[in-house]
Amino acid sequence: MLALTSDIHTPLHDWRAGVKLGLLSIAIVTLFLLKSPILLAGAAGLTALLYRSFGAKFAAQGLRMLKPLRFFLGFILLWQVVLGDAATGFAIVLRLATAVSLANLVTLSTRLDDLIDLVIWLASPARFIGLSPKPLALSIALVVRFVPVLLERANHMADAFRARSTKRPTFYIILPLIISVLEDADHVALALRARGGLDGAFNP
Amino acid sequence: MIQIQSLSCQYGDKTVLDAITLELTEARVGIVGRNGSGKSTLARAISGLIRPEQGRIFIDGIDVLIDRKSALSAVGILFQNPDHQIIFPTVEEEISFGLRQLGQSKADATAKTSEILGSFGKSDWAKRPVSTLSQGQRHLVCLMSVLAMAPSVIILDEPFSGLDIPTTRALQKRLNQLDQTLMHITHDPSVIADYDRVLWIEGGKIIADGAPEAVLPEYLRVMEADDAGAHL
Amino acid sequence: MQTKENDLVMIALFAALVAVLGLLPAIPMPWGIPVTAQSLGVMLAGAVLGAKRGGLSMLLFIGLVALGLPLLAGGRGGLGVFVSPTAGFVVGFPVAAFVTGLVMQNLRIDAMIASGIASLIGGIVVLYVMGIGGFWMLTDKGLMASITIMATYIPGDLVKVVLTAIVVGALVKARPQSLLSRQ
Repeated sequence: MLALTSDIHTPLHDWRAGVKLGLLSIAIVTLFLLKSPILLAGAAGLTALLYRSFGAKFAAQGLRMLKPLRFFLGFILLWQVVLGDAATGFAIVLRLATAVSLANLVTLSTRLDDLIDLVIWLASPARFIGLSPKPLALSIALVVRFVPVLLERANHMADAFRARSTKRPTFYIILPLIISVLEDADHVALALRARGGLDGAFNP
Repeated sequence: MIQIQSLSCQYGDKTVLDAITLELTEARVGIVGRNGSGKSTLARAISGLIRPEQGRIFIDGIDVLIDRKSALSAVGILFQNPDHQIIFPTVEEEISFGLRQLGQSKADATAKTSEILGSFGKSDWAKRPVSTLSQGQRHLVCLMSVLAMAPSVIILDEPFSGLDIPTTRALQKRLNQLDQTLMHITHDPSVIADYDRVLWIEGGKIIADGAPEAVLPEYLRVMEADDAGAHL
Repeated sequence: MQTKENDLVMIALFAALVAVLGLLPAIPMPWGIPVTAQSLGVMLAGAVLGAKRGGLSMLLFIGLVALGLPLLAGGRGGLGVFVSPTAGFVVGFPVAAFVTGLVMQNLRIDAMIASGIASLIGGIVVLYVMGIGGFWMLTDKGLMASITIMATYIPGDLVKVVLTAIVVGALVKARPQSLLSRQ
């Protein structure tokens, strides 16, 4: 199952995940403190330049990740224009687009494994109050492992349904999918216990 | 050596295993029986995964239910469906999990995993996502994961279901080469025809126990009889 | 036997299920705008697994979205989601599941009706409060404006409540022991 990390290697790929997230947080807070559309346009421009500096293909990936926002942003701008306050409209749209783009930049330049390691590391102090990051590590692995399995199963079920009906299968396979997951859970838990379960020595 | 003392298991008010007492020292033991006879429950009990209503099970002197830590290195179990057993997304993570559960460091576990993969000629599988493997290949990953923990006994709970003939034969070959004691649960007598000892379970009791040629012909005769009573 | 391993696996597998529901084609509706199976999944997590497990499951789900997995309907994911106008809804997933489960666990009437009420409170009221809140914070627009904009989605979303109830009703009949929220 593919994460959104970009195959196109950028210098950012080599930076530590924690550092990138820290910088991102600062950037986002700054963006939300800025009110002037001019300054926000500058920020947006810098962000666009940053993307472009990693190559046209990379910039295109970044732009694609903004696509789902276009209706919202367009609508907000329109709303503000109708209210007679286009400046605020631009400010909001620029701020959001820049924030989302910078956040996505971290996502595009960071490997899933590194982020998982970071999360586990952040969770480790909890060991002192008796909470282990082990269940977290195992559950992340389980989700990544099972999404392809369940997707294949969903497709099989959809096929089986389509062989008997011309209706669209999605709604009708929800129930059997849930049942299969509930039954799977017992088997997988058993297999996990067969190798020591949550009491084993494994430590992420 | 596997010692089963007066093992009884209930499911609700139904007796699934009825005071089973056995001592198994053979290297290759087969267990046959129809669906619902209690074979899977027996497998889980011997692995220490379920708490019996009565009785105790010892493998090489280890009480598999009480001493779970030692039991992990004493007995491993291979289930029917790899998609019910493989927990991690990549082959390497899956195989090294068992090693880390036994206390090995990440580095040691990764090294041992490479060793195991190499011994099966699958060194290139380390980083492969399990989702890119075929059913037969996933079965092999499960086998390697169990072997990684170096148990002295491996229980196979109908591990060949759904596989085609060539894949079944290939996996069987691998299994036959193992040094471990194998307890193979199946409803297909042909895979255990050359085993050392065969047990036939029916209704929670052992109704036959001996060499394959002593037990299997009668088993087949009964299963294939017209009044065998299929569960339809 | 509900062991701690069972809980862990259930939580993880349901999160995987909700991800897969987002990958299926949306459910067509007579009025044009389709309903994603994923939005049903969020409420079903609470209704089936109960408040604690359902909430944890959805928390795991959005955590993985944050880590960069494209698990949201439409293949969306990554950190950008959490600063976009709909961020409140996404963050609201675990809360919606939790509240849905809470109502389901405590409203001991017919499971199907209970799940309808539970998903109305959790999946519509609570989720929209969070969604509108998020929109308000991120877009700097007036509260009234935010409410107006977002509330237009509610009528279409009410069908989710009905669909959730239907699925839970069928689940109870097919496999009564499934409702961990009722055990």
